[in-house]
Amino acid sequence: MTALLEVKNLAKSFGGIKAVRDVTIDIQAHSISSIIGPNGAGKTTFFNLLTGIYKPDEGKIIFDGRSLIGLRPDQVNKAGVARTFQTIRLFAGMTVLENVMVGMHSRLTISLPQTLLRTRAFREQEQRVRERASELLRFVGLAGRGDEISRNLPYGDQRRVEIARALASDPKLILLDEPTAGMNPNESDEAMTLFRRVRDELGVTVVLIEHDMRVVMGISEHISVLDYGEKIAEGTPAEIRSNMRVIEAYLGRRAIGTKEGAHGAA
Amino acid sequence: MTTASASPSTNSWSAFRTWLTQPLVMGAMVIGYVALSILILISLDRTSLWYPAANICAFPLFVLSPIIVLLSPLPARLKLTIMLALIVVVTPIIGLTNTTYLELAIQISIFAGLALGLNIVVGFAGLLDLGYIAFFAVGAYLWAMFTSPAPTIFQINGWLVPDWAFFIFLIIGVVLAGIVGIMLGLPVLRLRGDYLAIVTLGFGEMIKIIARNADQPANLTNGAQGLHGIGRPPLPGFAVDFTNGLSGLFSIPLSNPETVARQLMFYFLGIGILFIVILVARRLEDSAIGRAWTAIREDETAAIAMGVPLVRMKLMAFASGASFAGAIGVLFAAKQTFIDPKSFELMQSITILAMVIVGGIGGIRGVLLGAIVVTLLDLHILKNLSLQLNALRNVNFVIPIIDYPIRNWPSQLEPSKYQPFVFGLILVIMMIFRPAGLLPEPRRKMELMEARGEDSGDDDDTDMPAPAAPKRQPAPSGD
Amino acid sequence: MTSQTLTPPGAAGYTVSKGLLPALRATWVYRFVLFPIGQILVFIAAAAVVMTILSYILAFFVPEPRANIVLADQIAKQLPGMIISGISIGFVYSMVALGYTLVYGVLKFINFAHSEIFMIGSVAGFEVMTRISASGAIGAWNPVILILVIVVTAMLISGLVAVVVERVAYRPLRGAPRLVPLITAIGVSFVLIDSTRGLMAITRNDFNLTYPTNDPALTWLTTPINVVINGASVGGFNIGGTAYTTIIADSAEVSGFEISGTPISEYYYGGVTIGGRDLRANQIEVNGARPDEILIAGQNLRDIQRAANVVNVRVTSMIIVISAVLMLLALNYFVNGTKMGRGIRAVSQDQSTAGLMGVNVNRMISLTFFIGGAFGGAAGALFGLNVGTVTPYVGFIPGLKAFTAAVLGGIGNVTGALLGGLTLGMVESFLNGILVYFPAFGQRYTDVFAFSVLILILIFRPSGILGERVDEKV
Repeated sequence: MTALLEVKNLAKSFGGIKAVRDVTIDIQAHSISSIIGPNGAGKTTFFNLLTGIYKPDEGKIIFDGRSLIGLRPDQVNKAGVARTFQTIRLFAGMTVLENVMVGMHSRLTISLPQTLLRTRAFREQEQRVRERASELLRFVGLAGRGDEISRNLPYGDQRRVEIARALASDPKLILLDEPTAGMNPNESDEAMTLFRRVRDELGVTVVLIEHDMRVVMGISEHISVLDYGEKIAEGTPAEIRSNMRVIEAYLGRRAIGTKEGAHGAA
Repeated sequence: MTTASASPSTNSWSAFRTWLTQPLVMGAMVIGYVALSILILISLDRTSLWYPAANICAFPLFVLSPIIVLLSPLPARLKLTIMLALIVVVTPIIGLTNTTYLELAIQISIFAGLALGLNIVVGFAGLLDLGYIAFFAVGAYLWAMFTSPAPTIFQINGWLVPDWAFFIFLIIGVVLAGIVGIMLGLPVLRLRGDYLAIVTLGFGEMIKIIARNADQPANLTNGAQGLHGIGRPPLPGFAVDFTNGLSGLFSIPLSNPETVARQLMFYFLGIGILFIVILVARRLEDSAIGRAWTAIREDETAAIAMGVPLVRMKLMAFASGASFAGAIGVLFAAKQTFIDPKSFELMQSITILAMVIVGGIGGIRGVLLGAIVVTLLDLHILKNLSLQLNALRNVNFVIPIIDYPIRNWPSQLEPSKYQPFVFGLILVIMMIFRPAGLLPEPRRKMELMEARGEDSGDDDDTDMPAPAAPKRQPAPSGD
Repeated sequence: MTSQTLTPPGAAGYTVSKGLLPALRATWVYRFVLFPIGQILVFIAAAAVVMTILSYILAFFVPEPRANIVLADQIAKQLPGMIISGISIGFVYSMVALGYTLVYGVLKFINFAHSEIFMIGSVAGFEVMTRISASGAIGAWNPVILILVIVVTAMLISGLVAVVVERVAYRPLRGAPRLVPLITAIGVSFVLIDSTRGLMAITRNDFNLTYPTNDPALTWLTTPINVVINGASVGGFNIGGTAYTTIIADSAEVSGFEISGTPISEYYYGGVTIGGRDLRANQIEVNGARPDEILIAGQNLRDIQRAANVVNVRVTSMIIVISAVLMLLALNYFVNGTKMGRGIRAVSQDQSTAGLMGVNVNRMISLTFFIGGAFGGAAGALFGLNVGTVTPYVGFIPGLKAFTAAVLGGIGNVTGALLGGLTLGMVESFLNGILVYFPAFGQRYTDVFAFSVLILILIFRPSGILGERVDEKV
């Protein structure tokens, strides 16, 4: 089986702090994987490197046979990698439907003259975008809520909108950054179902950053563990559960306390 | 409003309100307002001592009537008819009775166009452009250089164009200003919002310095002396006939029908361009492009991660706004027939920004209202206040009760000289108390109402001048 | 964004053990006097050397920009003048840039109205000096005390205005989206300009305000200090019946005399103009004669200019340099050596944490505005003293350039403001001195040049020379 995403020896430092060092991870197509690690381990930085928000210092990122190094975030999105954010970053003043419609931007063929002249092609495209966006909202369980202003939605629903918005670009890979943070067990169960449906029904490969071990262990087929920017372990949930270094990284850290700040990843 | 009163009165009050909101009653009230404002305007006594003061009130009442019609809950078709009648018929007639009104109407149409253009950049895309006037200058100088008899290289080499080329130059103005917009925008649009503001401000100043100094080594702009005798579009014969017809019909004597006819032509040109600008702005807003702009304004990082190409979309906003200014600059130069570097000061950019902010940033109706209010304040209200002051000074008027002779008022403190003060104050007050403007765009109005009482701490990294803490809904006087 | 201040290596956070004379490094004198002065000297020397080299490179490629003008010779002759003028302009920019940078440090906000605070300082300085002059006793004042009174008053007034502006216009908007306070600041800027104009119009019936530097009792202020480079001083001629002892190196200023009734007092940073035309650009004519044809004591003006290797160091330039250095030392001590300075640094690092640690955030912000405003005011008064005439509109261009300087050095970074200001001042002074010989450009475009610098920095290194590159946090 070939990997959909191959990351080789990826490194990034900020000033003197090495946020990500020498990380090599393969993500198999059509899988659900997780990246875990204590706070400040460099997980979000890793996502930001994948999506072009940060430029890596070293390393390779091959996605679907093509290098993502040097691409801008919007080009990465067009290449088929979509993401959500750790803190919800919806376009708060726009409606839910509009949020999802923006997500389809990279799939549109828009020209200024067509927009100004309201040609038939333009109107048809707008119609298509609207329908597809409604469809995605239905998929994440927000049917009929499209006209609400997104900031008015409850937290859990905003998370769903973020996922619908990310799915709108028809990605091959979706990166979810702590998608169940702040959810109660019921809600995270629903979220897990949703992630599985994203993979099974839409065929999108899923990578999660997650702290909730119940979710991680319950859904992942493959887990990579980062600590201090390094990959310290990877494997199936069972392997990770019994890995001494992982236990040390988590428990050892707790024993020391919450000394490290928010360097690198936040 | 009458929360504390007894129920019968509340009932009668609500019954009154229901009665008020009936379409027929609403329509009658709106039409009554419009008619009354026209009546007041034409019955002003120009010889009166208090004419300027009365004028200050009367003309704005009239000019606001299209907006009031627009906001009234009348059937769309009726609204359109009334507005069309006001713009196409009533304003020209009133303009004939007093050409300063016509001049004001032209200025309003010009500035409204500019404000709508800037609104695309600032309101839609959230990019603060403080050098917007530069693009206006590009259009104005374009037409002026090719028609002015000043000794520029264009004149010396015989490159001047005939007057009818005006309409071609409108298009060239759009294209050229758009290109200049892209050229200026390309390097700077990657910058953060506040840096962009300062850089565009620098550009505005640079264009002015270049205009002032580009008389050597080759005379392009005639330097500080400016360009005079700029070409005007040819006056069609029917325009004079139309003017004469109007003046005959309403028995308004005209001293110089041709001048008035020309002014009328510029009025209709201004309105025509404004109409196109409104159309374009609306179509842009309601499209994938408009959505991408809103997304950028609200959260750049999220927008780019969702596949919105930031620089390209920002350039598009910058260039669209610039194009509008270019075309309007061509019109402005033709109307003024004289321009010099002083016509394109920073203050002008700020005035246009004030229009966008006062009316309601992001919304087309709001910006139109802002353009009307600010232009009137600039060219009508402050000027007439000065006139009134001088009139009172001349008759040695003494304010009763406080016994203050107007003559003692320092001549340095003439209101018309303090336009920057007034606009500066407006910007500050609007930003503190009413950041979404007098007539907020529905989306932002909704945001406002929802944001009430909420902590606004989480949106501090968006560059959008979004609402902070509104007091209440806007209540336009005719609503 | 780091808000690194004028931190000497001996200050907290650095280990003191290494390097030369560790004992000296740990002393108060080193940290607050020697090190900062050394830093200033290094900056000045670096900027001057770089600009000199660039000038000679230009002279190498364009040896004779105009007939009979050998650029290298001109540069050699003007060098001391250009450097001195560069230092004094540079310090003015630095002091204004400090205001932008300090406020940016604590609030992450560009105080657009700061250029008006500078303007208010220059107007306040004018008021004080005019009042003293009107009392008739200005000759009796000790020069140091006179300058001190002018500058300190300007500092107090500007500082207070800055504090009031923050309280009234910016504080209610804290936490609002970035553009909201920026638009407010633009509004404040216009309000301040017009209020000043109105105030001066009422009280003085004019808002072109000329410092009374031509008061006969102030000869110590207006007589330049002559630095004769190779003994070729020119003296003993007169124009229109007034005798002059010293004139004129190309870049030095002339003041206090008239040619056919036009006072040569309008000068702006070393460019002498008569009736708005530039003396050094050879645009002037006196009664139809060009400088080549004007004879002074039998020599034509051009030849006198060429022969004289005299550098006139203006007293006002010296005052600017001395005051600026003293104030910078004081600021460095305040920020790095006192408790309140520590409070400001804490607020600039993290407002909410500083608040939790017991720092009164609002008071620290007010204090920052006061200090920034005071520096701007001092710069304004010194600038006014140097330039002679100020107006309510005088702030805009120096303000924009000082902002450029702040960005050049790395906004939010106090050392950067100093470095940026000195660099920009030096660049501008050299351009002013050299562009004269390129008639196609002339000095008319020096302002355009400053903006171009700003744009280039913002594009290629938005963090400035000393700032750290910061990736946006997601």
